[in-house]
Amino acid sequence: MSILNGLPILSFILLSPLVGLLVILLLPKERSSWMKTAAILTTLVPLALSLWLYAGYDKQQGGAGYEEQLSWVEVPLNKEFQNGVAEFVFKFQYSLGIDGISLPLVLLTALVTAMAALAAFHIKKRWKSFFVWFLLLEAGMLGVFLAQDVFLFFVFFEVTLVAMYFLIGIWGYFHRERAANQFLLYNGIGSAIMLLAFVLLVNTAGFRIEQAGEQASFIYSGSYADILRNMTDPAAWVNMSPEQLGGINPFQMTETMQWVLFIMLLVAFGIKLPIFPFHTWMLKVHTEAPPAVVMIHSGVLLKMGAYGLLRFGVLLFPEQAREWAVVLAALGVINILYGALLAFRQQEFKLVLAYSSISHMGIVLLGLAAFNELGMQGALFQLVSHGLISALLFLIVGSIHERTGTTELSELGGLARSMPFISGVLLTAGLASLGLPGLSGFIGEFLAFLGLFESMRWLTAAGVLGIILTAVYVLRAVLKITFGTQPEKYGALKDARLIEAIPMIVLLAFILLLGCYPSLLTDTVQNSVGTLFEPLFATRAGG
Amino acid sequence: MEMYSQAAWLIPLFPLAAFLVLTALGRSFRRAGVLIGTLGSLAAFVLSLFIVIDRLDANTVDYNYAFDWMKIGDYTLRIGFEVTNLTAMMLVVVTLVSFLVNVYSAGYMKNDERITVFYGYVSLFTFSMLGLVLSDNLLSLYIFWELVGVCSFLLVGFWYAKPKARAAAKKAFIVTRIGDAGLLLGILLLFWYMPGHALDFTTIQSVFDGQSGAITTGITTLIALLIFLGAVGKSGQFPLHVWLPDAMEGPTPISALIHAATMVAAGVFLIARTYDIFQDSAAAMETVAYIGGFTAIFAATIALAQNDIKRILAYSTVSQLGYMMMALGLGSLTGGVFHLFTHAFFKALLFLGAGSIIHAVHTQNIHEMGGLGAKMKVTAWTFAIGALALSGIPPLSGFWSKDMILTAAFETNPLLFFVGLAAAFCTALYMSRLFFLVFTGKPGAASSGAQESPVTMTLPLVVLAVPAVAAGFVETPWNGWFGSWLSGEAEAAHGSGVAIVASIAVGLLGIYVGWLVYGKGSVSRTALADRVPWLVKLLERSYYVDELYAVFVVKPLKLLGAILIVIDEYVIGGLVRLTGIATVSAGRLAARLQNGQVQTYSLAAVIGFVIIVIALVGRRFLP
Repeated sequence: MSILNGLPILSFILLSPLVGLLVILLLPKERSSWMKTAAILTTLVPLALSLWLYAGYDKQQGGAGYEEQLSWVEVPLNKEFQNGVAEFVFKFQYSLGIDGISLPLVLLTALVTAMAALAAFHIKKRWKSFFVWFLLLEAGMLGVFLAQDVFLFFVFFEVTLVAMYFLIGIWGYFHRERAANQFLLYNGIGSAIMLLAFVLLVNTAGFRIEQAGEQASFIYSGSYADILRNMTDPAAWVNMSPEQLGGINPFQMTETMQWVLFIMLLVAFGIKLPIFPFHTWMLKVHTEAPPAVVMIHSGVLLKMGAYGLLRFGVLLFPEQAREWAVVLAALGVINILYGALLAFRQQEFKLVLAYSSISHMGIVLLGLAAFNELGMQGALFQLVSHGLISALLFLIVGSIHERTGTTELSELGGLARSMPFISGVLLTAGLASLGLPGLSGFIGEFLAFLGLFESMRWLTAAGVLGIILTAVYVLRAVLKITFGTQPEKYGALKDARLIEAIPMIVLLAFILLLGCYPSLLTDTVQNSVGTLFEPLFATRAGG
Repeated sequence: MEMYSQAAWLIPLFPLAAFLVLTALGRSFRRAGVLIGTLGSLAAFVLSLFIVIDRLDANTVDYNYAFDWMKIGDYTLRIGFEVTNLTAMMLVVVTLVSFLVNVYSAGYMKNDERITVFYGYVSLFTFSMLGLVLSDNLLSLYIFWELVGVCSFLLVGFWYAKPKARAAAKKAFIVTRIGDAGLLLGILLLFWYMPGHALDFTTIQSVFDGQSGAITTGITTLIALLIFLGAVGKSGQFPLHVWLPDAMEGPTPISALIHAATMVAAGVFLIARTYDIFQDSAAAMETVAYIGGFTAIFAATIALAQNDIKRILAYSTVSQLGYMMMALGLGSLTGGVFHLFTHAFFKALLFLGAGSIIHAVHTQNIHEMGGLGAKMKVTAWTFAIGALALSGIPPLSGFWSKDMILTAAFETNPLLFFVGLAAAFCTALYMSRLFFLVFTGKPGAASSGAQESPVTMTLPLVVLAVPAVAAGFVETPWNGWFGSWLSGEAEAAHGSGVAIVASIAVGLLGIYVGWLVYGKGSVSRTALADRVPWLVKLLERSYYVDELYAVFVVKPLKLLGAILIVIDEYVIGGLVRLTGIATVSAGRLAARLQNGQVQTYSLAAVIGFVIIVIALVGRRFLP
């Protein structure tokens, strides 16, 4: 540990993009290169901090020692209850924390955002507001993964929504406004459902007792730790302080209620993930948003859906999730095959990649449905891996589009001759995407299949069919672009500039590193999977 | 005695280092690139040679080293390498052929502007193939299995501008991936059934060898068949053989290295490595034997009617791999591996010879060649050696290994014995057809300016001719040294007079018929095509297997995709639009409340949020 020890490093990570945002606001409007430099430098701060955090993370301790809490708003609800000793308070708190599940995603966010900032040279107008929204988006994403309070989580989730809305709507391609509206509408529905579920959760499982001398306060808050504790051990408070509660358990949740909440969360995060048939909103985002933004969208934002599903859906409602494991696995298989078959028939490269994301997110569902450590690890690995790979692919999409003005497959061909570097990176990214061992895509896939195979063989076998279809659509698209002969109209195309090559190499390096040395990620995740999922696996063993 | 085996992990690192250096250097250092690639494979070859010499002593123990790759909860996935006599033999084969192909390519690829890329890919392939051979468990074998597939794909598509090369590369990857999916499922199955979730070959051997009954026969059969599916894809067995002939679009040295000697034999190697699983399941063994036997005769007949020199050799490879599979399926591990060993040399020799011819005449059509024997003496003589070895003429290497397989069939399965004999006849026939059309007779349309290839290309031919002649003597009907070295158990002499005589007879007969038609010309070449044109057509078009795939697999898949596009657009997309319309009209109602200021919206949102919270939380406690 170093001098940074003891400082609120999570808040530093969260707030650093906002500080950069303020600096950019102060810069003169016409100095676009200043703003770009400032933005890139800003994104490097959370990247450096989260790298440091990752390196120093104690794999045995888990997330302990990193909590940062501040009470934000306290609303007294009513003064008296039963025998008059208790006070009811609603607490809205600023509460950050990490564990082995969120930490890799924090690092992924910081990395992908920094690379996207480098790739943002495609942006040609309104630099200032672009980077303001861009950095706000980063803060929102980091907040989502750092938040330890459901309301805080929700607020950050909404921040990303608003920032994305403007990023798509202003800097996107031709149909940008429709894409932005569809994005907001669909995600808004998801958010509304999520908010309702959170309110119901806080209302019930957000209960805790705080003892201050003789006086005991009954508190309702969005604290994730409280909710998790109550959900795992519903009778804890009654057993601990029976006389104060007068034998009444204020935490009550019927089984029906649990089911309702679970399905609400499944839908809310399923839209984001996206789970078939909630996926159509993201197709337009992929084609219309600027490449730097799509890098973030498909690299990080989709992961928030999976993260939310895992954190709130599966972990808080293990019984329900377990009973629906087959449903989750079936949805995963549908995602894999449906996405792959549609990707195979697309004429627009960006749509190939969009459907490919659907297909790859299906593997995350398979991993979750496995209900063992292998599957969970596979799901998380797939999140990180797909984040890196899809960010890299959209980075290349941006570079190709800048040169040729198109990403239609029929218009492209033979780029390997004039752009050997970019074509080589594209081919490697494609191979990573189709799960070539040695690159990160394989590990997530393999672990998810391995985990799921324990309980659901036929569904696993159906999912494994996906690796054939993935090869089919990836090679079809990538070889169409790079192999063959180049249409004459493009003339001599220039290969990657340094500013394009750097993010490509960095992302590729991470993909290769994780592919060859997966323990780097799995060991970090292991402790948290072990402890957090213990009740889950216990229900499996018991059931 | 020193244990070079401990240093075996170094072997793949030489070509890997060569690959990394070549990639870092870029395209400008052409000569240095060739040198680096060649040195990488040479170093690997020398060390492999040391290891195999070390291990000739029958008492050498296997050397194994493994480490934890991933620890997930109670499960550990390991990576490791292991040197057994089988792997040592493979090491030598792979590194020798790789080294010779490196030397050869210095001449063959001399004028290609991407020659350093080529050497980089070849080095990467050599690394992956050595990794595959050295793997001590199925997981790491699978990893390298996929990597060799990718290298094969890259090299088949090396001339990427050619649409045919692109299609062939894609096909090679996708068709083998079908097999890979099977292998992956086999590994998953094995993982959950093996005690301790072990995947290493030593444990597999002890579990299946002991007949412990830990795994039921049904599951064993399933595992074996799934593993075999992987081998079918990689080793070009029917019905997944279709990629291999097309893979001839790659540069010819690659066809010699990857699609004749090493990678395509990986399927045979895989089964040999997991042989204990197969031996536990009679059904699986029979499947392997029949698929292998069928492939042997099926591909050999196709080779009779091909006109492209490389496609003839490709179908020949498919057919010979079928022999190896048949041997394994008939219970003759030694026979399968022995044929793999000899085939690697003479088939690499034949491909490199074909490359030398193509280099000289710039065509692959054998009817445009002719009379090359006088102009290309070294190529012609070495090619003749390879052809005779392949045709199973004693005392060349191919005779001994093929004879061993036929003997095994003769003793256990008469049907497959006759299939093997018929395939051997076809083999001798298509090779003599090829040889006489190319090297004898009148000079063809393309032969006029032909001259012998440079020494970088002929030298590897001469070197390969030596084992093509002599490699068979390690295992003869009178001396089972190779088999006992391989398995560690003394094997009984296995000679069968009938099999030997029959095998020599069909070989000579095939050559004689070929000579009558294509050499002496006493039988018209078109005699068969005139009488049964449909049969010749059927063979020329390779039994229309590609067309069957197009109709029964590709088209339905495309159709399904098209249907799903419509569903996605109109059914699912329609629902989305419906939601959109509903929301927008609801929004119109509330539009009066909007004045366009973001602050107002957010204030409203916050107020609404707080109200919801307080209402829901507080209401319950009101009296």
